[in-house]
Amino acid sequence: MNTATQTDTVTLTIDGKTVTVPKGTMVVDAAKTVDIEIPVFCYHEKLGPFGCCRMCLIEVEKMPKMITACTLAAGEGMVVKTTTEKVEKAQKGVLEFTLLNHPLDCPVCDKGGECPLQDNTFKFGPPDTRMEYNRFNREKATPLSPVITIDRERCIACQRCTRYSDIIEKDQALVMRNRGFQNRVSTFKDQPYDTRFSGNVIDICPVGALTNTDFRFTARTWDLTNTNTLCGHCACNCNMTLGTRLNEMKRVTTRPNDLVDDGWICDKARWGYDFTKSKNRITQPRKQGQSVGIQEACTEVAASLQKIVEAHGPSSVGFIGSGYGLNEDLYSYQKLFRTNLGTNNIDHKTYTDTPGLPVAHFDLLDVETSDLVVLIASDPTEELPILDLRLKKAMTRKGVQMIVLNDQQTLMDKYASLSLRYNVGSDGVLLAGLNTALQGQSAESDLESTTGVSSNQLQAVAEKIKSAGKVCVIYNPVALTGSSIHTLKQCLATAGGLAETTVGAMPAAPVTNSVGAMDMGVLPDVYPGGLALTDGDAIKAKWGDTAPLEKGLSALEMIEKAKSGELKALIVYRSNPVVDFPSGHEVGEALKKLDLLVVHDMMETETAKLAQIVLPSNGPGFDEGTTTNIGGRVQLRTKGLTTDNPADWKIVSMIAKELGQETAPKDVHAVTAEIAEKVTGYQEIKRSAIRKQGKNREAVASANGASASDGTHTGSGLILRVADVLFSHDKILDAESNLAHQFQPSTVHLHTSDAEQFGVKEGDEVRVTGNGHEVKAEVRISNRCNPGGLVLPKVSDEQGVMSLAEAGKAVSWVTIRK
Amino acid sequence: MTEILFKAINTPNLTSIDVYEQTLDGYQSLKKAFEKKPEEMVELVKASGLRGRGGAGFPTGLKWSFLAKDVFPRYLACNADESEPGTCKDRELIMKNPHLLIEGMILCSYACQIETGYLYMRGEFWEYEELMDKAIDDAYAKGYLGKNIMGTGFNLDLYTHMGAGAYICGEESALLTSLEGYRGEPRLKPPFPAVEGLYGKPTIVNNVETLCAIPFITRNGPEAYSAIGTEKSKGTKLVSVSGHVNKPGNYEIPLGTPTIDLIEKYAGGIRNGNKLKAFIPGGSSVPMLPASKADTPYDYESLMEAGTMLGSGALIVIDDTANVVTEALGLAHFYMHESCGKCTPCREGTRWMYQILTDINNKQGKPEQVELLSDICDNMSFKCFCPLGDAAVAPVISSIKYFPEDYEELIGSMKTAQPVGTP
Repeated sequence: MNTATQTDTVTLTIDGKTVTVPKGTMVVDAAKTVDIEIPVFCYHEKLGPFGCCRMCLIEVEKMPKMITACTLAAGEGMVVKTTTEKVEKAQKGVLEFTLLNHPLDCPVCDKGGECPLQDNTFKFGPPDTRMEYNRFNREKATPLSPVITIDRERCIACQRCTRYSDIIEKDQALVMRNRGFQNRVSTFKDQPYDTRFSGNVIDICPVGALTNTDFRFTARTWDLTNTNTLCGHCACNCNMTLGTRLNEMKRVTTRPNDLVDDGWICDKARWGYDFTKSKNRITQPRKQGQSVGIQEACTEVAASLQKIVEAHGPSSVGFIGSGYGLNEDLYSYQKLFRTNLGTNNIDHKTYTDTPGLPVAHFDLLDVETSDLVVLIASDPTEELPILDLRLKKAMTRKGVQMIVLNDQQTLMDKYASLSLRYNVGSDGVLLAGLNTALQGQSAESDLESTTGVSSNQLQAVAEKIKSAGKVCVIYNPVALTGSSIHTLKQCLATAGGLAETTVGAMPAAPVTNSVGAMDMGVLPDVYPGGLALTDGDAIKAKWGDTAPLEKGLSALEMIEKAKSGELKALIVYRSNPVVDFPSGHEVGEALKKLDLLVVHDMMETETAKLAQIVLPSNGPGFDEGTTTNIGGRVQLRTKGLTTDNPADWKIVSMIAKELGQETAPKDVHAVTAEIAEKVTGYQEIKRSAIRKQGKNREAVASANGASASDGTHTGSGLILRVADVLFSHDKILDAESNLAHQFQPSTVHLHTSDAEQFGVKEGDEVRVTGNGHEVKAEVRISNRCNPGGLVLPKVSDEQGVMSLAEAGKAVSWVTIRK
Repeated sequence: MTEILFKAINTPNLTSIDVYEQTLDGYQSLKKAFEKKPEEMVELVKASGLRGRGGAGFPTGLKWSFLAKDVFPRYLACNADESEPGTCKDRELIMKNPHLLIEGMILCSYACQIETGYLYMRGEFWEYEELMDKAIDDAYAKGYLGKNIMGTGFNLDLYTHMGAGAYICGEESALLTSLEGYRGEPRLKPPFPAVEGLYGKPTIVNNVETLCAIPFITRNGPEAYSAIGTEKSKGTKLVSVSGHVNKPGNYEIPLGTPTIDLIEKYAGGIRNGNKLKAFIPGGSSVPMLPASKADTPYDYESLMEAGTMLGSGALIVIDDTANVVTEALGLAHFYMHESCGKCTPCREGTRWMYQILTDINNKQGKPEQVELLSDICDNMSFKCFCPLGDAAVAPVISSIKYFPEDYEELIGSMKTAQPVGTP
């Protein structure tokens, strides 16, 4: 078992100061702990020792030659000197070499003001150069990809970027080509360097060679207002810095937090913020298509809701939220509906899930301190990119093993020691089989015919889990079908009961604040903090005597009831059911039947078009509050941009006031404080405690769902598997996005045998039909899933894949037509 | 004349395994070796006093004993990336007597319990790849390679691998990186190859000439080998004599032979009756010496004491018609061209030195540039990632030290300085 804490230390002296550091610490890092700066270029803590720039030469007693501090591990009793005449001469010498062919175009360079080469030259460099020859001229601005521009003249060949590509991304996409002074950072055949994580090379480049094409020449770094905030895309909630000028988004850079992102962000975090400037933002409240004041809109919403509740009862109104909201906003909404309107018709998702885990809630750091990771139905590369990097690190550098259980092939397979592909839709049976295997019993006889995975293979998985010291289970509840999530939690409970094994899990739903939405009780059957409806006394104590105790409608049921006319009013918050819900093409008709549809969103959507009242939501960049990531870490998202529109929670509070709520929180911190008071698990979540690195909330009690079986699936055709795509062409990444070059065409992935059966071949344009809907796609015979299933990546909103899925059904059958 | 490596080297068809077996008792040393335990073989090589012939002169037996204990598989990488200017001894061994090398590789592998060996040849040796492959095939056919060699249970597979033409790949860690399929750049040491080498496994990297001496030592015992040479420099050495001599070529000498004998007796003296001006004793990477030191015995210790090194054993002779600045310029061009570019001082320094030397050689230099050259050399010496940087400095700094008058001569006749085109 890996030990998280290293007790072995060494003590050495650096420039007369005594330093004690963990064994294995490099001298350059040891020096930092006593505020001694040893200059570096090539060394980066996350990339490990390399020693090519020679900037950190130091003297060590008893060593005949000078040595680089970045490649020397601190040793017991070592006497290090960093300021001797010899060292200073070496530093000046190396800097003179480094600057020999550097263009010194600092006055126009984007790196100016935050450039290690500039800083080191000021602190350690020679005052002048003795170079009398023309500097070596190279290409000044070459696109490395549509979003990165390389200035090869400024490059000092430190190889940070190429090593990042090799060690962190595991791609070797970016390499050094040619040799000597003619070496250059490049790609094979000069193909674009357009990986999912390419932008990090801009941040780690110690000079202005790798530049952000979008930011290039648009602002001086010292003119930027930098705000420490969080990314609002996936559920990793990476830390980042938003650079703004004159209230306009200029750039996004990394803000390392080892507990979350390990110092990296994905390209969607870096370049996916064009929406802050998009013309499709909802900036004005609207009533029947006419702009109105926010107070007027809120008064209208409250009055209409009140009228409907009085006429038809509380169960005639409902709320569909989403994991895109902040904890404060979601908390406020559920409170509005429960305490002011008296209904539990509250939900934020279309799949089955329950809050809480029967085992510990592991965070992202646990991934690399575990012995075994079990990845179930999750595709981190597309869904949670920073988890992808963390897994690669764990597998290739931390000696962690991984088992992958998925119905589709993913890029994670090659890092797994065991990768099993089950038939699409058979996850319930597979997980039941795994549970049986973990209990030491033999599996049902039809296991292999149903799932495509043999009982021997599941036994092997169970054995690996039993023999590992620490196991981290990562699962994506969205990609599980029917009620299999309950079976998965039973598996976890069984594994948690193993004597020799520590088991923890991470619910890895892809949306920003999925975990927070569960915790905040945006659910029809659970109050905030996992408080079940059966616990009437506790609910009354916390939420008052009028708090509703009957189960509310789920999101899909609300659509159903809207269609039948039983539901009269709906507030849809940061969600676009017309595109994102199963049977989406029928949702619109249902919503049109409502007496009142309020859409509270950041971008114009298909759903907002149907609304009588539209409220503006500020969204990432403009909003402030907390989110809870997949690891259960609650962090602070602050605003870098300002707007005149009130915050989302404030709008909710304005509606509540109209409905008779007497008290109102004075600012967002008051809401955060109220969450700490009311939501079990969030007691310690204080603004001061989470400001820097966030804090893990206590996992809520396990709500162990009843055993459920979805039965065997019967139908004709192939079972549909919708796959998430990181750079999907949607409302956030629109046609004007910097990342538009990453958009993919609509494709359908088939198994060879199914392709033969349907008489289609690679590259054919086909129509995938089912549920009274069709989607155009190009055929890929990729064997991405087992025979009997097909994978349809959700590449854009326009593609409309969710309409193929049948609402309320565990699996959906589709066929292929030419 | 003692001939160990070059014995019968010019026998026709020696590259054929049958001729090799008949002429030189080829592969007979294997029987002797297999009678011993692997550890005993390591001791035997230690006792012979054989030192690495690639350049560093590290004791071979000691290197073998440094292999990480009980870690398998282990690998052998024979360094045939012979790229040092002036050096052409390994080439002659490979082209004329490939089986001697294979025999040496088998013995080394047996001693070090290695089952996979690679022969890394410089790209320019493409002509000999086929020859070497054939020799290896023949050795397989005769049962000297493959599974259960000569019924001993010892297995060995040998492969040839061609470099792509980079001097840096002669540096052992760069050789391994290149062999793994990566860009040829040196790696951090420690860990040394004996602990973590090819594919992260314990690896022996030995030069062709070193391995070719093993069959003699195995057959005749360590004493027979250590009887030759000086107290600390045992055995014979192939010296590639080049430059201004009448008979340039490879000569096998007992270590300790005076350098002047190599020039006069073996290589037929200086061309056109000219006088010796300077010599570089160990390939382009070592400092040059003036004629006054020509009686230095050609062995590791004596050359070290004289302020230079034996290196790869390439004696470059310069006569009094030459200006050493021109010689230094030629070598500076070589190092600029061959610097891998990984570390800053070597990448930038080699080119800067070349630019300055070009100026001086074109009679466009300035007096202060000599001092600048010395300072650049100082800023590079022992500050580069691998020895290539130190090597690049050696000819320049020694030419300034011993022949300041050559610089003065060129600078004294300086014309008006003109900007010089840079490569």
